[in-house]
Amino acid sequence: MELKRFIFRRIIQVVVIFFIILTALFLLFRLAPGDPVDRMVDPTMTPEDAERLVAVLGLDQPLWTQYTVYVKNFFRGEFGSSFHYGQPVEKILWARLPNTILLFTTSILLSALVGIALGKVAAWRKGSKVDTWLTIGSLVTHTVFLPWLALLLIWIFSYRLGWFPITGIISEEVWLDPDAGFMRKALDVGYHMVLPLTTLFLIHVGASLLVMRSSMLDTLKEDYILTARAKGLTDKEVRNRHAARNAALPVVTGVGLSLAFSINGGALTETVFTWPGIGRELVFAVSHSDYPLAQAAFLLIAIVVLISNVVVDVLYAYLDPRIRY
Amino acid sequence: MNDQRARGHGQPEKTEPDVLLRVEDLSVGYRTRRGLMRAVDGVSFTLNRGRSLGLVGESGCGKTTVGMTLMGLLPPNGQVLGGRILFRGEDLLLKTEEEMRRIRWNRIAMIFQAAMNALNPVQRVQAQIAEAIRTHRPELSEQDALKQVEGLFQLVNLPKNRMRDYPHQYSGGMKQRAIIAMALSCSPDLIIADEPTTALDVIVQHQILEETRTLQQDLGISILFISHDIAIVADVCHDIGVMYAGQLVEYGSREEVFGDPGHFYTQALLASYPTITGEKRDLIPIPGETPSLVTPPAGCRFCDRCTAFESECRLVTPAWVDLSPTHRVLCSRCLSP
Amino acid sequence: MANGQPTRDIRAQRSHWLAHFMEGWSVFIQNPLGKGGIVLIVLFGLMAVCSVIPPWIDPMYRPMTGVDPDILCSTSPSLRHWLGTDFMGRDIFSQLLAGARIAFMVGVSAAFMTVVLGTAIGMTAGYMGRFVDTLLMRLADIVMVMPTLLFVLMLSALFGQLNIWTIVLIIGLFRWPGVSRVIRSQTLSLKQRPFIEAARVAGASHLRIIFRHIMPNVLPLSFLYMTFRVTSAITIEAALAFLGFGDPGTVSWGMMLQWVWKTGHMFRAPYWLLPPGICISLITLSFYMLGRAMDEVLDPRLRKEEEGS
Repeated sequence: MELKRFIFRRIIQVVVIFFIILTALFLLFRLAPGDPVDRMVDPTMTPEDAERLVAVLGLDQPLWTQYTVYVKNFFRGEFGSSFHYGQPVEKILWARLPNTILLFTTSILLSALVGIALGKVAAWRKGSKVDTWLTIGSLVTHTVFLPWLALLLIWIFSYRLGWFPITGIISEEVWLDPDAGFMRKALDVGYHMVLPLTTLFLIHVGASLLVMRSSMLDTLKEDYILTARAKGLTDKEVRNRHAARNAALPVVTGVGLSLAFSINGGALTETVFTWPGIGRELVFAVSHSDYPLAQAAFLLIAIVVLISNVVVDVLYAYLDPRIRY
Repeated sequence: MNDQRARGHGQPEKTEPDVLLRVEDLSVGYRTRRGLMRAVDGVSFTLNRGRSLGLVGESGCGKTTVGMTLMGLLPPNGQVLGGRILFRGEDLLLKTEEEMRRIRWNRIAMIFQAAMNALNPVQRVQAQIAEAIRTHRPELSEQDALKQVEGLFQLVNLPKNRMRDYPHQYSGGMKQRAIIAMALSCSPDLIIADEPTTALDVIVQHQILEETRTLQQDLGISILFISHDIAIVADVCHDIGVMYAGQLVEYGSREEVFGDPGHFYTQALLASYPTITGEKRDLIPIPGETPSLVTPPAGCRFCDRCTAFESECRLVTPAWVDLSPTHRVLCSRCLSP
Repeated sequence: MANGQPTRDIRAQRSHWLAHFMEGWSVFIQNPLGKGGIVLIVLFGLMAVCSVIPPWIDPMYRPMTGVDPDILCSTSPSLRHWLGTDFMGRDIFSQLLAGARIAFMVGVSAAFMTVVLGTAIGMTAGYMGRFVDTLLMRLADIVMVMPTLLFVLMLSALFGQLNIWTIVLIIGLFRWPGVSRVIRSQTLSLKQRPFIEAARVAGASHLRIIFRHIMPNVLPLSFLYMTFRVTSAITIEAALAFLGFGDPGTVSWGMMLQWVWKTGHMFRAPYWLLPPGICISLITLSFYMLGRAMDEVLDPRLRKEEEGS
């Protein structure tokens, strides 16, 4: 029951933080040089449409009213119309959201799990060649420049070897093929996902591995490990059931702390691989001065980060009974 | 008592049914940066079934190392330099790791210090005890194991409704009882208790000691009680062994060692403890420090701090002197009383 | 409790600090990570310093504006251009050297700002406690959640092309929560120590206590975290430049990557694609190694353990 209260409190916190971000963005938009109206209303619109949009978004009202309209609009999902696409912003973003979540979640889970598994091995074989190589490998992959790594992967695997497609999430033929079932489409998406996923995975696995390694080394010195050995458990059982279980906790914390960093990486990856996600839309919108789209994309990303934070916190609370009870 | 027996390489000695544990000339060292540290040097003692032996000494004297060696749980830089450990007639030092695994907890269990983090914080207490049971009796189901845990809780006076709790929810005394319950879970022949009451407050300490003594008598388990506190050991154990700087310096029954200590170190130990009864006297701490165990002195190791020191003590290796058939002392100056 | 007592304490603290530093240095220099990190950083430093040499030799080597009149397209390495030329005929090697200069500038300034801000906030929060503490830490939570890169993107959308110093400022403003958290807990533990109590009794004002007593003990930690901040500052600036939002007047490594990418040369010109990426990655690696080695200095538990019990 403690868990429920904990979740509730976190959600409240997150909602408050989101409101602050929402307000900050609002103020920023109004403070920036230039006419706010120009920013929200596509100059290529007809005057009547423009007027209607201004009324809906409340841009001709005093500041306080504007703010309330802004907040209300947010909850109604009304973000205005994208300059570039000529379509309502929310339609565009909703279509993009699943793509980002797919890539983001898979990469984080995969890198955390593999990092934990390999970190465990590295700690157990401390000082051996395996350990040295794993540590060096982690240091290198953790610090390599993400967009550059992405370009390298494309160059080698798509251009030179032709193993993987260069861009996109799905091939045109498959997408348009009326006979292609869900499985076929899913496989094709997976095929396109390999390189972007590898990029994100490589960047993040190193951190988890190093954290797990040092956490494991610390845990192995704990008294309850001695107890476990004294009970007659095999080394493998001691390592997995007792040590790793405890040592994995800081990795979860680490993942939580680096979520903002991960989403940066996600946006960069999406851009280089032309993966149609929200991050890419944001970059795209900003470079084309498509303010309504940019603003909404940013808010949506903020929500994704905040929710991920809550998920990670809840996961940690579930794994560590000292928090719950 | 379960029926699993460990088959070892050592041939069983001529069976002495009463002798459970016979340690002969055990030496254990640790490899350190400064050289080989001889933590245990030529220690010998016997423990019979149903009896308890207390190993007393200040920190660093090697008593914990003895306990660890018995369990085969020395750290990677520790190594046995010589001697035999005859448990139920078989030499434990000749056993393989797999054989030792089956002996651990099943035949020889351990109780750790209460202050230690001996229980896994993310596992429920009942699960940890059940794990011990099922490791050695894998044919038991989870249900059956938990039933046994229930019985154990009753044995150590722990409320049954706390079985599903996590260790951090227990008080210090409760944790210690849980550790004792866990040690009893496989009905071992021998329990090594390493400072089990340190860091508990005095009242709880007393309770636990009482309960330990009762359990020992009721269940007939042999106990090797390791402590720095000679008063506690004298309270609970039949026999006492006093260790100093890696060596056993005095060995005898509780009455003999406590009532008529032969070695000057033992005398000094007893003098440094306050007593409520008897006349008020000054506490006499033992000055000086323990000698280096990397390069131990040739003669008696207690020389520098001994009140009866003579120059020949440094040169002559002390020999065992029998003050009685059951009481011996390692000292060149301690002739018959 | 006369005036003598706290002053003696401070002096003792100070010389203690120096002794600690020398001890720390010897541990640091033995660590392969520390050695490697220092070597690499010195190498890059040399690059930065040497960046003024090529333009001095010949104006065609100027990174931004220097164009080889004979070559107006991308060519592979030659004697004249050690790393070849970019799509406009500019020398890549001198661009690389100039990029080193920018990297240090951005990295160190942003990190410095972050650390100053983070230390100030952390000390205040830890020392003041209660309301101020809660307020500041909540603020830290909010800032920490923000993806810095994307926020700067938004800002550049609103305020137009950002200049390098603005970028540095914003990066500096966003990364302080990590530092302040650590400094805060350190301050909290220091607050309990007797010498602080003594200073307070002797009548020192809060400000004085913070600056003369808490700060010297907290600074080593600050420096440690500064090294990690350098890595993120450099990476963020590079990513911004890569996406096309950097300062168009500065030649940073990220900018070079942007040019390779946007002009479609990335598959045809490895001599152009590889060097800037390698440099960004290596300098990040070197500061990271530096940080890890310093970590070992500050936390003795991490040092090679003594054998034996």
